[in-house]
Amino acid sequence: MSTGDRVAVDLQNVTKRFGDVVANDAVSLTLKAGSVHALVGENGAGKTTLMNVLYGLYDPDDGRIVVDGEERAFDSPRDAIDAGIGMIHQHFQLVDNMTVLQNIVLGHEPSSRGLVDDADARDRITEICETYGFSVHEHLDTRIEDLGLGVQQHVEIVKSLYRGADTLVLDEPTAVLTPQEVEGLFEVMAELTAQGHSLIFITHKLDEAMEAADHVTVLRDGKAVGTVGAGKTSRSDLARMMVGRDVLFDFQPRTGTPGTVTLGVEELRVSDERDLAQVRDVDLTVREGEILGIAGVEGNGQSELVEAITGMRTPDAGSVTLDDTDITDMSRRRRIEAGIAYVPGDRQEEGLVQDYDLVRNALLGNQTIEPYANGRILDWQAASEHAEHIVEAYDVRPRNTQAAAESLSGGNQQKFVVGRELERDLTLLVAAHPTRGVDIGSIEFIHERLRDIRDEGVAILLVSSKLDEVQKLSDRTAVMYEGEFVDVVDPDAVTEHDLGLMMAGQPIDESTDTAQDTEAQP
Amino acid sequence: MSRTGLGTVRAIADRIADRMLSASVLERLALAVASTILALLIGAIIVAASGYDAVEFVSALVFGAVGNLSNIAFTLRQSTMLILTGVAVAVAFRAGVFNIGVQGQFVVGGLAGTLAVLVLVPLLPAGVATGVAIMALAALAAIIAGGAYAALPGMMKAYAGANEVITTIMLNFIAAGVVYFLIDAYLKPPGAAAPNTAAFPDYVDLPGVAFGSPSFSVIGLGIALLTVLVVYVLMARTSFGYDLVTSGHQEPAAKYSGVDPKRMIVRTMTISGMVAGLAGAMFAIMILGYYSDPNSFPTFGFDAIAVSLLGANNPLAVVPAGILFGGLDAGGQYIGFTLDVPSELVDGVIGLIVLFVAVPELFRMAGRYTGLGGEHQ
Repeated sequence: MSTGDRVAVDLQNVTKRFGDVVANDAVSLTLKAGSVHALVGENGAGKTTLMNVLYGLYDPDDGRIVVDGEERAFDSPRDAIDAGIGMIHQHFQLVDNMTVLQNIVLGHEPSSRGLVDDADARDRITEICETYGFSVHEHLDTRIEDLGLGVQQHVEIVKSLYRGADTLVLDEPTAVLTPQEVEGLFEVMAELTAQGHSLIFITHKLDEAMEAADHVTVLRDGKAVGTVGAGKTSRSDLARMMVGRDVLFDFQPRTGTPGTVTLGVEELRVSDERDLAQVRDVDLTVREGEILGIAGVEGNGQSELVEAITGMRTPDAGSVTLDDTDITDMSRRRRIEAGIAYVPGDRQEEGLVQDYDLVRNALLGNQTIEPYANGRILDWQAASEHAEHIVEAYDVRPRNTQAAAESLSGGNQQKFVVGRELERDLTLLVAAHPTRGVDIGSIEFIHERLRDIRDEGVAILLVSSKLDEVQKLSDRTAVMYEGEFVDVVDPDAVTEHDLGLMMAGQPIDESTDTAQDTEAQP
Repeated sequence: MSRTGLGTVRAIADRIADRMLSASVLERLALAVASTILALLIGAIIVAASGYDAVEFVSALVFGAVGNLSNIAFTLRQSTMLILTGVAVAVAFRAGVFNIGVQGQFVVGGLAGTLAVLVLVPLLPAGVATGVAIMALAALAAIIAGGAYAALPGMMKAYAGANEVITTIMLNFIAAGVVYFLIDAYLKPPGAAAPNTAAFPDYVDLPGVAFGSPSFSVIGLGIALLTVLVVYVLMARTSFGYDLVTSGHQEPAAKYSGVDPKRMIVRTMTISGMVAGLAGAMFAIMILGYYSDPNSFPTFGFDAIAVSLLGANNPLAVVPAGILFGGLDAGGQYIGFTLDVPSELVDGVIGLIVLFVAVPELFRMAGRYTGLGGEHQ
């Protein structure tokens, strides 16, 4: 495997315009065979557009695509697949109610004498899995919907390998993964390159780019700002290249003192759709002007807890109070009207109506609230102004409130949802993964806004799988494991290492636990 | 070579889609008229090829629809019914609830309206004022009955998970059977053979005003248009309408915004059924002047599905779609009376017209669906 100089994919001066917008402006990128090349940039910098050009989804207006030394023009993904290029989209392209095997062979069904013959396919998939260390072959007859996101991603990768991909494009593959799954993905990526595959890794998380990639190309406003060796750069250098200015990484000191209890949760028990207990007797309080951060590996009951508090899900037992009023049985709408804002973890399905424009999406959840509704009559003018305001204040691009939500990139969608929820007249904010899929400049901005409204006296319940985010923002940090709070600690007095242990279910012993206001759950 | 060919095709498709998506209402209407004319030309060729007189056929179709005052009245009468039932379908479809039971709700609503008339007439003195009061109460009874009959499958869907397509279809048969039985067993005048109720008195009828037809009234059409307006305002300008339309687009997002999905299904079905019920009263009072075996009724509730879909389930667009279908129905029936042409050929040409008018709209929908046209990242 002489991977030294061979070039797997060479994009030369690729330009792609949409009307007057130049999404890619003479971008060049050279992917060396057997290496990982990270493509980083803010939302809307043109990362996905560039990869869609490579994958045959868009025709470039200018520039050349050279694959294995041969100039190519792809009219469709099929051409790209035939040339050995595979793409793992951010939102998986899997059929939920079909099995893993059916998904992998879809469109390339093996047959003998006109009948589907999967024995051969099973063997080949098993071989692929054993070569690269996947466990996908153990779930071949499981439906996709019954698998976790991490495994689904492995299915996507195996699918591409099964189709003979040499070069894999991973579009923000870590956005949906837990920290553990991210580590697993990096191992897979290392194994793939060791076997001679070449990877393009799209991300906007600088740590990940530096950890997993050999080279990093930074895109900004559709232009390639530069390419650097991952070992020869620093986080702040990359950040400066991405946003064109310095970004502050240091933590800001906490100010102010929390007031009276806004949200009270007592002995709450919540089950999921399959009637499995996901939240087991959780107690918590969030005070005025306080951020309670909940850390934990996703799937340990955080979403069910949040849904029970926001009125999306009915708890089995226990109580929820808002400003001393019992709201356990209050409808979702009444809770919204009572001032509970909610940034949902699933912006695609819940936070936005995909084929509504931003004006109509600005109304989502506000449709019974003044000034957007006078009595039962809607004021579209007010909704339109509100959408303009969100787009301006939260830097949602494109600055067009007539654009359908689905036409926005994931990060801009998230900024819009966060903007809408934060601009409510709120007493409690429940934010699940508020910066998921958002670029670094906007993360800073959202964090600032969260602190601002905290300082204005809003109680905030923050759920995030990003440890640094929880540590940076929260006044108290709760760690959730298998439906229970392992501990509630002072984020300044606990190390990332200890938090990691707690996320795995191990309470740290008293000597290292210096937090006040601790309610350890046995 | 073929690659660049495909690219060109895609570019052209993209440009057409762009054009279609940005077409204004007037352009779309003009397009519909042009499609109708084109379909008539092609239909004429088919008629001629089948050995019939194409000119006679097309002129009879047009004459039957709009040729004289009484034909126009017939067209508008059918249109009135199709607009009302079309709006009933559109409300449900927009909310993502597939109410295929508008025919049944229409039949039940008509019976309730009839019962109100038959009960109230002997109790009140004859006269115009009484007539208006009785018709208003009959309409109210029909609206309530239609709404209740639709709420039933709504509740079955919301609280028991029963598929509304199946339950509403089955309830159509039940409605027709039960209403027939009630009329035949209890409501027909003693000694009568036909399963008809007693006729309504003269003062319980909508006056024709302009067309001099006993079975069409401008007031009836006005009521249908007013209903369209009310439903449109409800859907576009109220919190409830936003809830309803959002539920149809993306239910998890609707739930997130505070909609109770189960109650929404029941409410949607109820409103849809209320409009269908009003159509039933309209049919009994304006068209029949009595009530009869539902199995002999025109299938307005089913044709309404096509009307609503042609109007993209938009209550305002249901009006032109309803008028087109009404005209085609009138013209087709006129050909049936006057020309010796197989009814299959008539239906075929009418189908061709519907197809031609629908294609540009289908293209628009397909354009949206495939993401062709417009700017996107």
